[in-house]
Amino acid sequence: MGNANGTQAGTIVTEFFDAYRAQDVERMVDLCSDNADFHYIPIEGWGRQRVIYGDGKVRTIGKTVWTQLIDSFPDLTNEIHKVTSDKEGNVAVECTLAGTQKKPFGSIAPMGKHFAVPHVFLFKVDSDGLIDEISAYWDGADFYRQLGRLEVD
Amino acid sequence: MSATTIAQQFVANMGAGNVNATLALVAPNAQVKIYPLNAEGGNEIVRDYLQQLATAFPELTIRTRRLFVGGDNTAVVEIAIRGVQAGEFFGILDQEKLLDLDQVWMLHITDDKIDNITAYWDQNRLYRRLAVKRQDRVTITA
Repeated sequence: MGNANGTQAGTIVTEFFDAYRAQDVERMVDLCSDNADFHYIPIEGWGRQRVIYGDGKVRTIGKTVWTQLIDSFPDLTNEIHKVTSDKEGNVAVECTLAGTQKKPFGSIAPMGKHFAVPHVFLFKVDSDGLIDEISAYWDGADFYRQLGRLEVD
Repeated sequence: MSATTIAQQFVANMGAGNVNATLALVAPNAQVKIYPLNAEGGNEIVRDYLQQLATAFPELTIRTRRLFVGGDNTAVVEIAIRGVQAGEFFGILDQEKLLDLDQVWMLHITDDKIDNITAYWDQNRLYRRLAVKRQDRVTITA
């Protein structure tokens, strides 16, 4: 499978963040291939007798995570700071995600606190102009601290 | 040297614990941001990180998961570091725990030198791996 060129890939990824800012999860998913991989590296915690990871496919794990985030942080938004792309469909987006917690998120009870945390997203865009892989990194300690939780679980 | 080569050398030197060789690739007036350490400034930021990493994790291994160079000559490097703690690391006491941590380093290169560094990882995972219980008491592990 080939890959999108740098300009095309950067445009598609920017559109993805536009959809995320508009909280249009269906559009975010539509911009991804059917089998797109999803890796939210900091998501790691204990569920019922097992460790839960933010790892899987966009159409299963990714859609669920995005929906839960928007539900817990109804004013969730993003601001892109820099887009770095090559001619092979690789794109890195440095951005800040921000929102105010209104409902529980994972094990974090809502205290009405606001967070704004720097993120880097790494994308692979295929030759059809669809996102085929998403990986995201942020400092979960900073995220939890801003939401009022200092315990490390 | 290409940006890819410089980025590869940066990672290899970091993995070998060779602080001076790593810093030799960085411009004297480089701007450095390491978000998980809440650290922003010049070369001293990356020097401090590299020195503490080399001391605390002397048997560190680094696997490069992804490396590409953007049109503005920024190398995007996604790595996985792995090692057993053998000394204090940014105030975290040594309990001989295994650290495995994924990171992204954004290295902007001008005239064969890295003049801008931004690093991302999940400090919560680092705390968890090193048995820290609370963020406000990283030196207390009981």
